[in-house]
Amino acid sequence: MHLVALMFIALVVLQSLLGGAVFATIIGWTPQAIGDYYAAKTFHGLLETLLPHTLFISIALMGSLHFLGFITTISEQQKERWIHLLFGLFILDQSAPVFINLGIDFFAYVKLVSFVGFEGVLAVVSYLLFRHTLGKDLAISQ
Amino acid sequence: MKFIVSKKLIDNRALYMSVLWMVIFLVVALCLNVVAKGIDFGVTPTQWIGHALGNEAEFIDPLTIKDLLLTLHTELFGLILLFILISALLMRTSRSRTLKMVLLLSGIASLLIYPLGLLASLYLGSFAILLAWGAFILFHLLMIGSAIDILILLLRKRF
Repeated sequence: MHLVALMFIALVVLQSLLGGAVFATIIGWTPQAIGDYYAAKTFHGLLETLLPHTLFISIALMGSLHFLGFITTISEQQKERWIHLLFGLFILDQSAPVFINLGIDFFAYVKLVSFVGFEGVLAVVSYLLFRHTLGKDLAISQ
Repeated sequence: MKFIVSKKLIDNRALYMSVLWMVIFLVVALCLNVVAKGIDFGVTPTQWIGHALGNEAEFIDPLTIKDLLLTLHTELFGLILLFILISALLMRTSRSRTLKMVLLLSGIASLLIYPLGLLASLYLGSFAILLAWGAFILFHLLMIGSAIDILILLLRKRF
């Protein structure tokens, strides 16, 4: 079971790295590149990304995060913190481009931090859910 | 998995029906993913190699790194969710522990090899794509098989 858990961690880390690679390839890693990318977009162009992400990622997050309600290995406060953190970072990640487009350059930093944070927290929560999936069979669960 | 299926699943009609329909749709989603990949990449290993690395004779351009990353990022997100759901249900079935472990290990291994193989194709060429092709097929076969088994157990109310 250690092997399964390790492979799952590798999988979620790979997914986070792929997210980062997509971001870096299309937009760039520096606040300057992020600012330039979103500043050049039209509001309609921003909506084309914002609308499907807002709708589908929030549903996917709700679908995944409600499983936290069944986990007994972490406290209710911790669960609340993970959920608020994930949705909070998602809101920042999605809304930052609009503010960049409006000319507030500071949001390029917000976008960068919230994106990295969202990918990282999503990887941790996915692992928490998977660890619980394995239940008592997982020796390292406690 | 302790959450999707509670001890009272059969008694709880709403939960039972929701899980039943979800499993049906997971099978449909897996089949559709195979069809979509077949249209996009092709069916045979040769077609996959041609799509990813390009084919001068057929005037096919190689897949750009940007397109490859976008495809993998979107696809992997869905496949990880799907794997969590199916493995969670699988753990609650009455099948032997060995069988469950074999399915789980080979499922997660193939899900890891598929994107890594495609990414490695940039350096290792067609061998890596061959690995990715095999892993993609194995993962889908394992998940469809497991989901159908779960579905039968659910329908026979032996969950």
